[in-house]
Amino acid sequence: MIVRPRWADFKVIGLYTGKVIVGVGLLMVIPLATSLLFREWNPAIDFFLGIGACLAFGFGLEILCQTSRDMAWGHGLVVVSFSWFMATILGAIPHYLSGHFSSYLDAMFDVMSGYTTTGLYLLQDLDHVSHGFNMWRHVLTFAGGQGIIVIALTFLFQGTAGAYKIYVGEGKDERLLPNVIQTTRAIWLVSLAYLMVGSSFLWIAGMSLGQGPVRGFLHAVWIFMSSWSTGGFAPQSYNSIYYHSLLYEVITVPIFVIGSFNFALHWAVWTGEKREIYRNIETISFFTTVAIAMLLAMAGLMKLNVYPDIIALFRKMFYQVVSAHTTTGLGTIYSRTFVRQWGTLAMLGIILAMAIGASACSTGGGFKGIRMGIIFKGLIQDVRRLISPESARIVEKWHHISTRLLDDATVRMAMLIVLSYAGIYALGTVAGVYYGYDLVEAMFDAVSAGSNSGLSCGVVSPTMPTLMKVVYLFEMWAGRLEFMSLFALAGYLVALFRGR
Amino acid sequence: MRIVIDRKEKSWLLNGRLKCLWLAFAIAVKVFLVILSGPALGEAAMPQISLNPDYTFPTKDTPSGVEVNSASLVENTSAWNGHVVAFTGEAIGEAMVRGNMAWIHLNDDAYMWKNIEEGAPLGGYNSGHAVWIPADLAMKIRVFGDFKHEGDVVKIVGRFHAACPKHGGDMDIHASTLEIVRVGHPVRHVFNTSRAILAGFLLAVAFALHRIRIIVRRRHTL
Repeated sequence: MIVRPRWADFKVIGLYTGKVIVGVGLLMVIPLATSLLFREWNPAIDFFLGIGACLAFGFGLEILCQTSRDMAWGHGLVVVSFSWFMATILGAIPHYLSGHFSSYLDAMFDVMSGYTTTGLYLLQDLDHVSHGFNMWRHVLTFAGGQGIIVIALTFLFQGTAGAYKIYVGEGKDERLLPNVIQTTRAIWLVSLAYLMVGSSFLWIAGMSLGQGPVRGFLHAVWIFMSSWSTGGFAPQSYNSIYYHSLLYEVITVPIFVIGSFNFALHWAVWTGEKREIYRNIETISFFTTVAIAMLLAMAGLMKLNVYPDIIALFRKMFYQVVSAHTTTGLGTIYSRTFVRQWGTLAMLGIILAMAIGASACSTGGGFKGIRMGIIFKGLIQDVRRLISPESARIVEKWHHISTRLLDDATVRMAMLIVLSYAGIYALGTVAGVYYGYDLVEAMFDAVSAGSNSGLSCGVVSPTMPTLMKVVYLFEMWAGRLEFMSLFALAGYLVALFRGR
Repeated sequence: MRIVIDRKEKSWLLNGRLKCLWLAFAIAVKVFLVILSGPALGEAAMPQISLNPDYTFPTKDTPSGVEVNSASLVENTSAWNGHVVAFTGEAIGEAMVRGNMAWIHLNDDAYMWKNIEEGAPLGGYNSGHAVWIPADLAMKIRVFGDFKHEGDVVKIVGRFHAACPKHGGDMDIHASTLEIVRVGHPVRHVFNTSRAILAGFLLAVAFALHRIRIIVRRRHTL
């Protein structure tokens, strides 16, 4: 029997959603300050308006839904998916008011792309947007990378009752410290420490490349935010091509590789467990699949003889593959270059890299290295079972922070999530093919959206059909939250109409 | 017999395993290089991806210095490779000077004459091209396009590289001449009063709701 949710359930969901939306409103203070600093008055008004709307909505919801009832698992998951949805609608206010979008849906697409650290965008005339608006785009992606729930937990929640339930709903289930609030603060501590160091390097690099100190600083902060959160946004339409610099590439690659690693791995290394880097199933999986994707891309590029020498070939291939595999989406080639120069085989290498994606409990998306490792070990275990005597007990181990025995339930759970990802990749691909796009091109952008990568071969554009925008938006949302929260929201909606 | 490996040895073994992985990867790369070498590296790229007829491409009668747009260069990259082309666009961002040379970026999109901040209709993404040019020519550009400026529109003539050997495979144009077609100008933003009033109203509502929330929460906890 399906139990219909009661008003008391909605009050719990509303109360916590309100808190998260207040958090989104407070985030807008950063771009507002930027706009005021650079005397960009109209964008500043847009941010005041956005802040007012978020705070009014958030406080209003908290007043309506005041309750002391404890949060259940179902509530936590629904809070996450509903908060992300409302945060997208309200976060899109400054976007839409900027005048750079064809519709509110396009503005929502960009906000969802930011929160989910995807990096695809429908914004038009990026090269003439204000510093404040560019700051908002990158703050969105930086905050989204850590998780907007993590932000709310860090700054707005008092007490830890129910906190873990919504923390898990955002696709993060690692407890670095015993208390979940301490864990979220640790995530922020790690991110802010890297922000200061990484931005400083990029700032110095930018000035050595011919940028002025102010523009160099802004670009450094934005590119760091984009790289670290594996976002893929950039302040210029040329993306990373704009810098024409090996130095910039050498600095950004480690940032997005480190950003794509599990926060638990970061914490282990920070607390002295350096050997975890070599032992962790995710790092082993990452380096293995990166190597496979590189070989595929290299084969494609060599077949078409795209680059004049092996160094240029390796530089371009390495940056694009690692950017794809970490689901960052920064690129040193034009979008259409994938189709018009790289060709199908190299594109398949990039698709593979994007589909597998980053680590669990990181800022990245995709199947995740841990699941690839578990499924591979499950396969090995099954093969060993097949060739061993029936009485033999085959034990397979996997290491992630601690060494564990592999059981069927773990493999099944990993398979379920991977199949769900494959489902949304297929959904986006079918939508693209339906509207007349080439199969590989449709697959490329669909996988990019579903894995929150952000590389595009030209399918995503402001003129693409509305239904495709909706499908991609859904892909980004589902992929980032790793489905469970969306399943819970769908379950709630079904229960609302069919429950007793 | 149980073999005991102490921490130091284990660490060495793990590092050794990693070295083996990298060695295997290097060997695999080498094998790929041998098997898939096809036309020798360094030879002129052969256009193996068919031309896109929706965009212009050069024929044997195409003169040197022909005017071309960025979309055609990207869509028919191999065909244009090595040709001397003329390219016109709005200078955006900044000139990044590197020694005697500089990088500039020219946009030939729907906003090159008037951008959205000045009231131009939406016309899709930005598109343009990167240009490698002598620094003294780049210094002729006075205004670069950004939020507060519509940049100079300039015309350059130079050789197009699909994958420049000098710049790590970047797609670029090495320009030898630059001509200012239109001087840029500051963009005048009109203060949006009605939007400011609405923002003030919303903030006042939010503040009132915040006060009410405190009272409601206090009552609830009593």
